[in-house]
Order: sequence, then structure tokens, then C-alpha cells
Amino acid sequence: MRFIQQVKRNTNAWSMLSFLFITIILLPNVLIAINSISPSSENWLHIKEYLLTDIVINTSILLLFTGFLTMVIGTSLAWLVTVYSFPLRNFLKWGLILPLAIPPFIGAYTYNGILNYTGIIQSTLRNQFDIQVNQKYFNIMNMEGAIFIFTMFLFPYVFVVTKSFFENQSSSLIENARLLGSNSFGVFFRVVLPISRTAIIGGGTIVLLEVINDYGVVKLFGVQTFITAIFQTWFSMGDLDSAFKIAGTLMIVVIFILVVEQALRGRKKFSHSTTKLKPIQPKKLTGWKAWGVFAYCFGIFSFAFLIPFTQLVFWMTQTYEKIVTVEFFTLVKNSFFSAAIAAACIVTVALIIANYSRLHTGIVPKFLSKITILGYSIPGAVIAIGVITVFIALDGFIANMFTSFNADAPTALRTSIIMLISAYVIRFLAVGYNSIDAGFSRVGNKYTEASRLLGSSINRSFFRVDVPMIKGAIVGGFILVFVDILKELPLTMLLQPFNFQTLATRAFRYANDEMVNEAASASLLIILISGISIFIFHKILDKGE
Amino acid sequence: MKKTWKSIFAAMTLTSLVLAGCGNASNEVKPEGNSEEGKKEAGVVNLYTSRHYDTDEQLYKQFTEETGIKVNVIQGEGDELMERLDREGEATEADVFITADAGNLARLKDRELTQAVESDVLTTNVPDKLRDTDNEWFGLTKRARVIVYAKDRVDPSELSTYEALAESDWSKRVLIRSSENIYNQSLVASFIELNGEEAAKDWAAGIVENMAREPQGGDTDQIKGVVAGEGDVAITNSYYVGRLINSTDAEEAKIGEQVGVFFPNQETNGTHINISGAAVVKHAKNVDNAVKFIEFLTEKEAQEAFAEGNNEFPVNPNAEASELLKSWGEFKEQDINLTILGDNNARAIQLMNEVSWK
Repeated sequence: MRFIQQVKRNTNAWSMLSFLFITIILLPNVLIAINSISPSSENWLHIKEYLLTDIVINTSILLLFTGFLTMVIGTSLAWLVTVYSFPLRNFLKWGLILPLAIPPFIGAYTYNGILNYTGIIQSTLRNQFDIQVNQKYFNIMNMEGAIFIFTMFLFPYVFVVTKSFFENQSSSLIENARLLGSNSFGVFFRVVLPISRTAIIGGGTIVLLEVINDYGVVKLFGVQTFITAIFQTWFSMGDLDSAFKIAGTLMIVVIFILVVEQALRGRKKFSHSTTKLKPIQPKKLTGWKAWGVFAYCFGIFSFAFLIPFTQLVFWMTQTYEKIVTVEFFTLVKNSFFSAAIAAACIVTVALIIANYSRLHTGIVPKFLSKITILGYSIPGAVIAIGVITVFIALDGFIANMFTSFNADAPTALRTSIIMLISAYVIRFLAVGYNSIDAGFSRVGNKYTEASRLLGSSINRSFFRVDVPMIKGAIVGGFILVFVDILKELPLTMLLQPFNFQTLATRAFRYANDEMVNEAASASLLIILISGISIFIFHKILDKGE
Repeated sequence: MKKTWKSIFAAMTLTSLVLAGCGNASNEVKPEGNSEEGKKEAGVVNLYTSRHYDTDEQLYKQFTEETGIKVNVIQGEGDELMERLDREGEATEADVFITADAGNLARLKDRELTQAVESDVLTTNVPDKLRDTDNEWFGLTKRARVIVYAKDRVDPSELSTYEALAESDWSKRVLIRSSENIYNQSLVASFIELNGEEAAKDWAAGIVENMAREPQGGDTDQIKGVVAGEGDVAITNSYYVGRLINSTDAEEAKIGEQVGVFFPNQETNGTHINISGAAVVKHAKNVDNAVKFIEFLTEKEAQEAFAEGNNEFPVNPNAEASELLKSWGEFKEQDINLTILGDNNARAIQLMNEVSWK
């Protein structure tokens, strides 16, 4: 009886919508889980015998090293730009987020273009100085190369979260520690690292999920991972069941990562009594210290942004006449609108679920919030096929409905952009959700509680109190999702409607057909649009919330 | 009670915002030509293609100009588009499917996604060997898998057959891309047909033994590896050499000049050739337009455009190859019906995995 009462009390539009969205996200996952326990085929035995060990080892090495390096680099950079003042600091504070604008597969193609035999380095050495180098030292297409590429283009995920954490959370703690006589290293390792664990690990988890899902880089570099194995068994061997089995195994890996994340995060919650925090006073560095810190930060910036960007500009000057035509602007329009609309949908859905799960205690709301991340963890290709299946059923249903009323059925949903947008929402909800959830946990529940005590309804409190307080997190989430979708490949390629291409698919096609120079214009536009978004994002973060 | 209604209202507002957003999306970015009026004129052909060359798009435009039939395109990867087509089943909008590699086309037929076409134009333009035995798919362009060698280090007289590259003479001298690539799968599939499974496996093992480095990158990377001295020969498709020679990048053009193209197995069973080809989709709604479209692509003019634009060999015997292709000379082709490549594909992949071809 009490249980029913409790359910009744907790049931409102917020909870119902939350459950609806979660069900939609859960569908493809359940599909994988069910399919992965079907009886073993001959192919699966073959995969187990010849491939699985390699896949597991390669994926583990990639995750381990990329995870470690991105956390070290991301956290150290965030710390340096937050507490010290040195040359170009103001620029680097947001410049170091820019590598996010470069899709890793474009980074990989670009670095291969720079380093290979006809690249700028080797051809200069050869033509100007008559030096032939050993290819071994210029080969990036291997495991080490893949780790380098992922680290360079994904570390900003850690950088962004930890930087905003340092700025918003730790100023008083840092200053107190300083007053108590701790030196810089002491402050960092004894005070800052322990309290920022959650942020660092949260950022690191996003990096790991991105690595797991990458197809472009590992395919080019010839590194066998779960994703390449899924594509190979599914598409080359035509064996969907075995592909589901690999995807199922991959899900176990993902769940393992998420459980470890939870364990490492600990249970502590940090929220502040005011939303206006005193900003940290950066300590001015002088002499070799200033230049050392500058060299480290600017060095990373160069490898992760400046060098590949310059190379792309150079390639563009060689090819833009052929590439930048009227049709090219359709690509820009397609990319921009599909990403913006999907991001708006995601932010709205994330707000509803996050608001529900924070205002209710108990296992169900917690569980709901964890599920949002699942879409982010399954390969885009798997989501795509799930979504197509659902939409074909939906179309059939709608058509039946219309015929029973003797009306003409409207244009099919599956040939429209709606299918693609839905898939984006399922895939990237986690990114928007994380940002909004972080926003909520920063302000805590007390303002909402006060507002409710003063007689406002949940909805009024939500629109008048909660939303304005986490505006920054909402816009931030929107922009992160927007940038992610601009770069997205497998979903777009599998679900595009007729005559619909994006900058990312165009760039990938040229690159995949081994025409890297021609891929430069589209790549640069992705980087430009993302770059501007990131700049705005930074401005918002900088203003605080 | 009042509160509940209010909260439902608020939540609905949010949801409708979401839906409105999505609805707008379909208006904003809806492709032209897929609209109702386009369909009523029956003036469309809907195409799924894994070829994404600028030349192809030019040809589609030309087709529209000549016939008034609008070509709607979805570009993607061959096997992924196939999966999509299969999922869509009868509900599909696709009329024509174009993809590279006979292995893919054969699989398309095996999955019952194609239909037989009666067309004198097609049977005249496309030789028997390059189309399906039941006319369910037709070759559009031919590509040869050749041996590319470093002119300064390798005398063409040293070269003879694919089989010879697996011998100990070529230890650590051979460059080739990964087994994930369909070109290599089809090559091995053709050996299974011609030499038997055991011999094909031995060959693959020999190649793995002789690899100058672990497989990485695409065909262009193998050619660059030859010039850079990482290996002496590479197995690649011929058009990549053509593309390098014609590259806007001076360094790349130089590479193209430094390698030679050798057509192997001329004294034995011929050089491995493959095609890209087209099929009419089983559940196509615009069959007549689809056939007209494929016919157009096999005519002399379109065939020569393919050859010129992408350095591929025409399938139509009346079409002339480009100057560059002619400069490589005539060659003897493997004499197998390409359907076999599809039949042997899965076995070829397994076999390559078994000998640890990365």
C-alpha cells in the first residue's frame, strides 16, 4: 500500500516523460543484449579463435594509454591556466579547447599527410637537404600513432571539466591551503587532486567512450578493435548475429568502465552556499618558470591544433576552386541545422530527466540517470540499424492508420531527416545530460526547496529558479553536443535521407577515397564552425553562472 | 489535482518544443526533388551508391538534362547501404544500387535485393563475364589489381605472377593493405576459385611472411611505401597510380612517375580484375527509370567519362580508355565470372584471418 502511495506521489509529467525517453534509449541496448545470447554460429567460433584476443588486447592498450595521457595532460593544463599567469594565458584558456573542433579521423589523415613520404617534412628534407630518412621514424599508422591522435584531439574533454571545476570549486580551498603554507605541488596533490577526482574521471570516461566508438582512426591505422571487428563481421561476413555478440561483449567493457567510474568518483557531493564564487587570483610567474609553463601549454596547443590546422589550410589553397561550389554551401546548411536542432532536442530531454532524477531520491531515478549514458556507449552503426527498424515499423503503423480513415498516408518518416535527428538524440544525450547534471549538482537543491517552501510549484520553480541558475550549463551542453554532431560519421552515413550530406561525411569520403587534399575544405569548415561555438562556450564558462 | 494538470501542461510544452524543433528540421533541410510533385511526374530515380567521385555526379546531372529524370542520391559505404536496403525491405525508396566490387554485387543478389533486367542495350554494352549470369547486376567500370614496382630497384623481368610474390625471393619486400579491405578479399577469393583453397591459403601465408611491414593505410600508402624504399613492390589497384600521376600536389605527381605498373599472370591465368557495377533494386518503384539510368551509364560517352575522371577501364568494348590507361598497354584478364568472388568472400576472409593477415 505504501509502495503504491509512493509511486502515486512520484508520478507526474516529469517522471512520465523521463520514463518515455529512457525507454526509447534503452530499446537498441536491449536489442543487443537479447541478440548477443543467440546460439553461436560457425563465424563466432572463428572470431573467438582468431580475432577476439587481439581485439581485447588492442582495445585495452588504447583505452589504458589514452585514458591515462588525456587525464594527465588535461588536468595539468587546466591547473596551469587556472592558477598561474604566464604569456598567452588568456588565449590558451580557450585555445586549448579548440582541438575538440578537429574530428580525430581528420587529425589522423592530416598527420599521416604531414609525416608520410610526400609530406612537408620528408619532401623538404629530401629536396632541400638531400636527406633520406628511415620511414620507421615517420610512421604514424600504428598503435602508438593512434594513442597520439586520440590523446591530442580528446584531452580537451578532461581539460574543460576540470578547468571549470577548478575555477568554480576550489578557489577558497586553494587560498586557504596557500595561507597555511603549502607550496604549489602540495596544494595540487594534497588538496586539489582529491577534490577534483570526480571531474577528472568524468572527463576521462567521455574520452574512453569516444575511443571505444571511433572507427575512422583505427581503420586507417590498421588497429583491430571492437568496432573494426563489429564492422568486419557484420558487413564483410554479413553475420549480424556475431556482430551483436561482439557488441554484447563490448557492452560488458563499457559497463565495467562505468562501474569503475562510479567507484572512483566516491560518494561525496560538493556544492557551494553561494553561486557567485570568488574567482581565483592567478599567481604571476616570471623567468624560466613562466616560459617553461608557456612552452608546455603552447606545445600541446601546436600539436593538437595549430599544426594540423595549418596543414589543412595549405591543402585547401590547392583544391578549393574545385571543391567550394554552390553545392558546398548546402553541406554547410545541412550540417549546421541538423546539429543545432538535434542539440536543442537533446538539451530539452536532458533537462527533463535531470530535473526528475535530482528531485527524487531512490534507486529508480538514479538508475534512469545512468541509462542516459548507454546510447553514448554503443557503436553508432548499431544504433542506426535499431533506429531504421523502429522507423519502418512506425511508418507501417501510420500508413495503416491513414488507410483505415481512407486518407493518403503522409510522406514516410524514414526518408526524412527526423530519423537521423532521433538517432542523434539517442547517441548524444549523455553529453548534454552530463553538462546539465553537473550544473544542477553545482547549485544543489536548496534553492528549489526554498522556492517550493515559498509555495511555487515544481514547474514554476523549474522555469523561474532552476533554469536561470544553470543557464551556463545548458548552453554549454548545447554547444558540446552541437560540436559532437558536426563531427559525427557512422550515424549520418547510415541514416541520411536522399541528397543529404554533411561536411563530415563529405570530408570522410574524400579522405577515404585517398584524396586528402580535397577533404581539406570541408574539414576546415567543421573546425571553423566548431571553433566559434567553442569560443562562445568559453565566454559563457568564463562569465560564470 | 490542479498542480498535476499544470505540470503536465509544462511538460507537454517542453515536449512540443522538442517535436517542433524536429518538425522544423524536416522543413529546413529537406532535400529538393524528393517532394510530392517530383514523384507524381514519375520523373525520378532513387540511387544508393558507394561511389563518390565528382565524375559520377557530373554524369547524374547529364542524365537529368537529357531525360528530365531527376537523380536522388544517398552516398554511403557499400556494405552499410546494403544492410540498410535489406532492413527497408519492401518499404525501400531505392531504385538503383551502385557499388564497387563484384563480391558486394553478388552478395546483393544472394540476399535477394536485386531483380533481373531485360535490356538489349545492357547485354550489348556489358560483356558476359562482367555481369550477373541472370542479369541481376551489370559492371560499369573495370579496375585491375596490379603489381606496382620501384623503377630504380626492380627490373620488370623479375616480376611474373602473384604467386611468385609469395616465394622467398620477395622476403620482406612486399607491401599490401589489410585483410579488411574488399580488394584483397576478392583477390584471395579469385585464387580460391582458380587454384583451390589450399593453394590460396598457402599464398596468403606466403604474402604475410613476405610483408615489408604490417598492413596499414590505403593503396596510395602502399605506393608511397615503394618509393620510400620500405618495400620494393606493392599490390594495388591500377587507378591509384593514375591518380598520383595526375595529382595537383607536385610531390605526389613525382611519386607516380617513379613507379612502374606490371600486369601479373600474363603467361598463366591473367590479371585479377574487378568492377564497380549497378543493379535494379528488387522493390524498386521506378523500374523503367532505373533501367534507363543504368543503360545511360554503360553507353560509350559515360564510359569514357568514367575512364577519364577516375582512371578506371571501361566495360563497354566500344569505349576508349584514357591516354594514360592506354600507355600501360593491353593485358590478359582473369577469366572467371565475377559472381564467384561473392561466393568465395566469406571463406577468403576466414582464410586470411587464419594466416594472421592483419
